[in-house]
Amino acid sequence: MSLSDPSTLALESTMDKAAPRRRKLRPWDWAPYVFISPFFILFAVFGVFPMLFSIYLSFHTWDPAAGLSAMRWVGIENYTFTLTDDWFQKSVFNTAWIAVVAGAPQHLIAIPLAFFLHTAFGRWRNAVVGFYFLPFITSSVAIALVFTTLFSRDYGVINQVLTQLGQLPVLEWIFPQQKIDWGQPEYTKWMISFVVFWRYVGWNTVLYLAAMQTIPKDLYEAATMDGAGKLQQFWHITVPMLKPMMFFAITLTIIGNLQLFEEPFIITGGTGGIDQAGKTAAMHMYNTAFMDGDFGTASAVAWLLFIAIALLTWVNNKIFAKSGMKD
Amino acid sequence: MKAKLNPAYLSAYAIVLGGAVIMLMPFWFMFVFATHSDTDILSVPPPMWFGDAFLDNMRLLLGRLPYFWHNLGMSFYVAIATTVLNLFFCSLAGYAFAMFEFKYKEYLFAGVLSTMLLPAFLGMIPSVLIMTGLGWMNEPRALIVPAACGAMGVFMMRQFIGSAIPKELLEAARIDGCGEFGIYWRIVVPLITPAFGTLGLITFIGAWNNFMGPLVIMNDMQMYTVPLALRSLSGTGQVPWGAISAGSAVAVLPLLVLFVITSRRLIEGLTAGAVKA
Amino acid sequence: MQFSLKSGLLAVALAYSAHAATTITVASFPDLDRSAKAALDGFKKLHPDIEVKVVSLAYADHHNAMTTALATGANLPDVMAVDYDFIGKFSESGGLEDLAKAPYNGLQYKSQISRFSLPQGMSDTGALAAIPTDIGPGALFYRKDILDKAGVSEAELTKSWDSYLAAGKKVKAATGAYMLANAVDLKDIIIRANLKDGEGVYFDAKGNALVDNARFVKAFEVAKAARVAGIDGKIGAWSNEWSEGFKRNQIATQMMGAWLAGHLKNWLAPTQKGLWRSAQLPNGAYAAWGGSFYAIPKKTENKAAAWELIKYLTLNKQQQIAAFRAVDAFPSLIEAQNDSFIDEPIEYLGGQKARQLWRVAAGKIPASTVDKFDSVAKEIVNSELEKVLEQNKDIKAALADAKALIKRRVRR
Repeated sequence: MSLSDPSTLALESTMDKAAPRRRKLRPWDWAPYVFISPFFILFAVFGVFPMLFSIYLSFHTWDPAAGLSAMRWVGIENYTFTLTDDWFQKSVFNTAWIAVVAGAPQHLIAIPLAFFLHTAFGRWRNAVVGFYFLPFITSSVAIALVFTTLFSRDYGVINQVLTQLGQLPVLEWIFPQQKIDWGQPEYTKWMISFVVFWRYVGWNTVLYLAAMQTIPKDLYEAATMDGAGKLQQFWHITVPMLKPMMFFAITLTIIGNLQLFEEPFIITGGTGGIDQAGKTAAMHMYNTAFMDGDFGTASAVAWLLFIAIALLTWVNNKIFAKSGMKD
Repeated sequence: MKAKLNPAYLSAYAIVLGGAVIMLMPFWFMFVFATHSDTDILSVPPPMWFGDAFLDNMRLLLGRLPYFWHNLGMSFYVAIATTVLNLFFCSLAGYAFAMFEFKYKEYLFAGVLSTMLLPAFLGMIPSVLIMTGLGWMNEPRALIVPAACGAMGVFMMRQFIGSAIPKELLEAARIDGCGEFGIYWRIVVPLITPAFGTLGLITFIGAWNNFMGPLVIMNDMQMYTVPLALRSLSGTGQVPWGAISAGSAVAVLPLLVLFVITSRRLIEGLTAGAVKA
Repeated sequence: MQFSLKSGLLAVALAYSAHAATTITVASFPDLDRSAKAALDGFKKLHPDIEVKVVSLAYADHHNAMTTALATGANLPDVMAVDYDFIGKFSESGGLEDLAKAPYNGLQYKSQISRFSLPQGMSDTGALAAIPTDIGPGALFYRKDILDKAGVSEAELTKSWDSYLAAGKKVKAATGAYMLANAVDLKDIIIRANLKDGEGVYFDAKGNALVDNARFVKAFEVAKAARVAGIDGKIGAWSNEWSEGFKRNQIATQMMGAWLAGHLKNWLAPTQKGLWRSAQLPNGAYAAWGGSFYAIPKKTENKAAAWELIKYLTLNKQQQIAAFRAVDAFPSLIEAQNDSFIDEPIEYLGGQKARQLWRVAAGKIPASTVDKFDSVAKEIVNSELEKVLEQNKDIKAALADAKALIKRRVRR
């Protein structure tokens, strides 16, 4: 009887090591299933079930007062409303905007930076990597709050530095002479993007640095013998060899940026700022659920967002596969 | 050596170091602001060096957040419990995936990996309803239990155990009559402490910084974690920037200390281990 | 038949439970929580059998938590504090007890409470979802010293909007100070001014958006004129620039709820004691600026005890005065408004008996109705105003866009 119940068996076998092992089913046949079961049990209860429930919710509406028992089937109404909703569209646009403006420079800077750190700096390398990596490990809430003061229009350090630079001869073409009101719709997304970039550029640098450790040294040695400079080595050896990692890192960035929530939520005080210029799709979902109390529509928003992420991941996969970049 | 001192190299060094300064700047201001009054913080130019108002700011913080120390305890409790559970369950599962042959193993492992692609927000709304149903709202276990075994941890542990432990060792233990859990506990665990360090740190940081989870689960100031408590200070009304900076510094300090202690191992662990996929 | 039986049973149950020792929870937010906490001792004396626990969250978090609690039916408090900005949504939600019905019969207190505030707590169907505990009669605050320097009199401020704008130009020219923090403030008053009883700010009784009517056109025009004249600081309320603007003498006037006097005194400009004065809003406008309510969720037990506490907080004169003293919450109870405390001079306002002014305003504010989608409309109107002010969008076009967008966003 107890054979059908691995958990009791696990107990028996650890308690009684002398138990006869010549059975039809040996311990190492069922033990792995026991060992991996916590993951799957937790995932089933707190992962699969909520997701199925959320699909179910997304087709319903209910009178909040009466609670969940008074749910009413509305078909795809939540989805059609969301897709035609100006606020949802705007939040998707904002999310995409921030994803590109904060995401692309992360990789454009992280790759050469990782290359430079890989070839230079010697024993100081880990310290410098640590500095760049530090933002990634810190509490985004604490840091977003600090950034709110730094971005303050009249009293923020960032405006003071920018306007100072704007006074200098050549730099006046690039930097503003006037203080920037970062709360204005045209600047809100830049502010959020900078914070996101700041937070994740170090993470990507570490990923690329990791990949560079695996590039065989003799490739570079051979190139040096052929008289290739560092720049050529970078373009012709490092970049092609990094492509698998680029695929991985860019996928992570896409997934991460499309569900961006904390930084814009705190910087804009939960509202998305003036004209909702800094409201991301995940914030729209949160507000729909927890400010409007509309869990059905919010679930529909979540699934539409998930589909968008899945599609983009797939497209990313295709692009890398097509150009032979993915091994 | 001489080639490295040409102007291109020097400017590259300068840019990289300048970038590092920008990376550190917000931390610097956080600690500096923590020691200044609000009036000082909002002056032009802002303070660049430490002041003497840290204790005043802490007093102000505790006045506005009477449960701050409790919040800090809550953060530690949630982060430590999550970390311990992850170390145990992830290494157990990682051990199974690395060392055993069993039916459907590849599919099950692919299943573990694919859950990493599921965005966190997807479960946010239903999980509130589920936690309500379980009566777990406002309880730290609602944050700990669902996060007790992360896919990332299982993956890391499988990679590490697969490369660090020879299968023959386990065979030998089996012949000696050691049970399966006994093998894990007495042989595998002692050999994978370095990986425990890396995974523990990552899990701790993630749990400590978790914002979305407590935001929807906790609805009592006393049960807030530190990030949530700090955020509740900004918004309508008087925003005590000095107190927020002081609180932020307290919230970030444990991470900084952990990071400084373990950064070499962490960065080496990440740069060496992450690519073995 | 069934209905009356039910409510009869409820009344019996309520009467019974009121006598058993009960603990009730009040969910509130700052600073309202302070006035509730301050009331506990007095309440305990009257009702020794009722234990009261006050839990408090930050303003936005509180309303989010209550929305979730209503939607899931869990973690509901016995007494729920609701701010004016959320009262429309909450009273329409159907999750709150109708206090007009037996055993509460809340409407019997109608004549005792500021006439404009009780209707705000009522839903379309006439259910009384919440009882007001404090009100925010709109007032104009101005820096007397700055105005004197510019040679501007109080009458010039309040006579008409044109005269207010003209005075603003004089102030800016003479002192360099901004007349007001943000032109958006002007819009907020004008859309509320001169409403008739029963009219809504954004929606009519049938739920049609009103945002393209003359009220909104005028509001946008005045705001735009202020921005063009350069007399506003483009500063959002509650921002760092706002609080520092007061401290650094850069803001000459601020229109807001009467409770601003307390904020000015306590932290915005504590050093400017005696320099500020209060006046009625310009152009004969009377408008409500915030206010707080108490409600009982349908799904809670202890309704009788909760109702006792609400009555104590909202209808007890001493308690209303105490809250006024403690947190500058202007009483909604008329009896409290007639207390001698109202006639005391306010030192911070240079000894002005400003509370008398605010009482006059409270009596003249129209009893406008609120709508479930007010917050949606407000957000959309604010976005369009920003386009008018910053990008020179045509006012008519902006309001037409706002109306169309509201129509699309609102699901009834």
